[in-house]
Amino acid sequence: MNTSLSNPPRSVTRRSLWNLSLAQRRYLLAAGLLLPVVLLRLFTTLYPFLQTTFLSTQKYNPAFPPQSYVGFGNFERLFNDIVVQQSLLFTIIFVFVSTFFQVVLGLAVAHLLNAPFRLRGLARSLSLIPWAIPMVVAAIGFRWMFDDQFGMIPDILRRVFGLETTWLINPQNARLAVVLVNIWKSTPFVALILLAGMQGISQDQYEAAKVDGATWWQTLRFITIPMLLPIIVSISMYMLVWQLAVFDLPYAMTGGGPGFATTVIAQKIFQEINSLNYGYAAALGVVMVAVVALIGSIGLFIFRRVEVSS
Amino acid sequence: MTAGISTGLRTTVQESVYQQSWWKKHGGTILTYACFALFVLVIGIPFYYIFMSSITPKGQLFQIPPSYWPANPTFDNYLNMADSVPFFTYLRNSLIFAIGSSVVSVGASALAAYALARIRFPGSNIIYIALILSVALPQIAVMVPMFQTLQQFKMVNTHHGLIVLMSSLLLPFTVMTLVSFIMQVPGEIEEAALIDGANPLTVITRIVFPLIRPALATMLVINFIISWNELLYPLIFAQRIDTKTLSVGMMELSSDASTYTRPWDMMSALSVVMVIPVLLLILFGQRMIIAGLARGAVK
Repeated sequence: MNTSLSNPPRSVTRRSLWNLSLAQRRYLLAAGLLLPVVLLRLFTTLYPFLQTTFLSTQKYNPAFPPQSYVGFGNFERLFNDIVVQQSLLFTIIFVFVSTFFQVVLGLAVAHLLNAPFRLRGLARSLSLIPWAIPMVVAAIGFRWMFDDQFGMIPDILRRVFGLETTWLINPQNARLAVVLVNIWKSTPFVALILLAGMQGISQDQYEAAKVDGATWWQTLRFITIPMLLPIIVSISMYMLVWQLAVFDLPYAMTGGGPGFATTVIAQKIFQEINSLNYGYAAALGVVMVAVVALIGSIGLFIFRRVEVSS
Repeated sequence: MTAGISTGLRTTVQESVYQQSWWKKHGGTILTYACFALFVLVIGIPFYYIFMSSITPKGQLFQIPPSYWPANPTFDNYLNMADSVPFFTYLRNSLIFAIGSSVVSVGASALAAYALARIRFPGSNIIYIALILSVALPQIAVMVPMFQTLQQFKMVNTHHGLIVLMSSLLLPFTVMTLVSFIMQVPGEIEEAALIDGANPLTVITRIVFPLIRPALATMLVINFIISWNELLYPLIFAQRIDTKTLSVGMMELSSDASTYTRPWDMMSALSVVMVIPVLLLILFGQRMIIAGLARGAVK
C-alpha cells in the first residue's frame, strides 16, 4: 500500500498512457496470458468441430468433386453400415470392460504399492513403465507374443495347460487379446492415481478399525472404497471418455482384424479419411462426439451425486 | 466407548500372548512379496520377450516351439533396422516433435495457469472448465477439417505444424496441473513486486516460474513422454521422410501383411530403441512423474 503511494509518477503516466483503470489492465493482462492457450485450443477443437458438423451434411470426396449437400444422407448411410454398427459395439464393449478391470485391478495394485515393504519404491517405478512406453511398442510386442504360430502365449498355454488356442485369427479371441493388452497398459496408471488418493486417507481410521477387530474385507468395504469413491468415479470417467477415442492399440496390434472384429470407431473414421470419403468421415466424427458426450455427461451426473453425498 | 477400547486392548493382548504363530507374524510380508513377484512378472515378461527377440538372429525367430533364451545373441537386428528404416532421420524427427511439443505446451500453459490461478477476472471459471471439458473431444473426430486447415496454412509435413497440434492436445492437462501448483505457492512476493510497478511479465518469468520450477520440469518430462509415444498425428500429418517419427516408422515396418514376411527382428529392435529414452526418464524422475500425474487427477 505504502509502496504504491510512494511511487505515484510511474503509475500516473501509465494510466494516462493507456487510459485504463487498474481492473481493466488486470483483465487485459489475463487475456494476454490466456491468448496462446485459448487460440490453440479453439484452432484444434471448436473450429474444426463446427466445420465437421457442416461437412457431415455434405457429400464430399476430393477425388470426385463437386461437393454437394445431402442433408442427413451420410447419417442414413451410416446407420445401415454394418462395419459402423460392429465397430461402435466393439468400441463400447472395449471401453467398459477395460475400464472396469483397470479400476478393480488398479485398486488391488494400489494396495500393493501402498503396502509397507522394502521394494515399494521399485514397485512404484515399475508401475510407471507400461503407461510410459509407446502404445505402438506394446501393441507390436503383444502381437508377436499372441502370434498363432510363433508366439509365446499360445505356446505356454499349450505346454502348461494343454490348451490349443488361436488368438489373432479368431474374432472373439482377438477382441479379448486387444482388451487384455489395454488392461495391461493402463491398470498401473490407474493404480498410481488411486494410490495418491489412498495416501490421503488418514491412518487413524485404519487404526480404529483394527482396534474394533475389522476384517480385511470390512476395512476395504467400509473405509477404503467409500473414502476413494470420488477418485474412483473421476478416474473411471476419465478412462471411459479417453479410451473411446483409442486408435493406436487396435491399429498397431490387429489392424482392426480379423475381418473388422477389432475395428474401433476411430479406426473406421481413419479408413474413411484414407479413402477420401470426407463427408462420410465427418458424419462418423459427429456420431463419435455424440457418444462421448452421452457417456461423459452420464459420468458427470454420477460424479456430482457422489460429490454431494460424500 | 470405554467398552470398545477395553475389548480392543484385550484382543491385542490375547493375540500377542497366545496366537502369535509364525504365519501370523510373517504371513502378511510373504503375501506382499508374492504379489510383488507376480506384478513384476506380468509387467516384465513382455519386455523380456521383446528384448530377447531383438537379439535373436532372424532365422531363429521363426521356430516352433519358440525359444525363450537367445542361443546366439547378436546385434545384427539393430544394424539391419538402422539400415532399412531411415532410423536417424526418424529419430531426429521424433526428438524435434517431442521436445518441441513439450516446450511449447508447458510455456503456453504456464502463462495461462498464472492467469487462472492468480488473476481475478470474470469468466475465469468458465475458461477453466471449458478447457478441461475440451479434452473429451477425440482427435480423430475432427481430423478432416483439421487436415484441410493445415493444408491451407501449408503446415502439413512440417515440424511446426505437428508441434502446434500436439502441444494443443497437451494443454488442458498441463494447465490443470500447473494451476494447482501455482495455487500452493504463496503470492506475497509477486504482489509486492507488482505494487512496486514491476512489469507483470517480468514478475511471472523472474519470480513465479523459478518458484514452480519442479512443476515445470515435471510437466516437460510427462509431455515429452506423451508426445514421444504419439502415433495418430504423425501418421496423418507427416507424409514425408523428413517429418515422420519413429512410431510411424514402426507402422511402416509392420505393414507387411503376413507373419513370415513381417520383419519381427527389426520391429523388436526398434521397440527396444523407442523404450530406452522413456526408461531413462523414469529412472531419474519417477518420483516427480508420479506426483505430477497424480496432481492432475486427484485435485
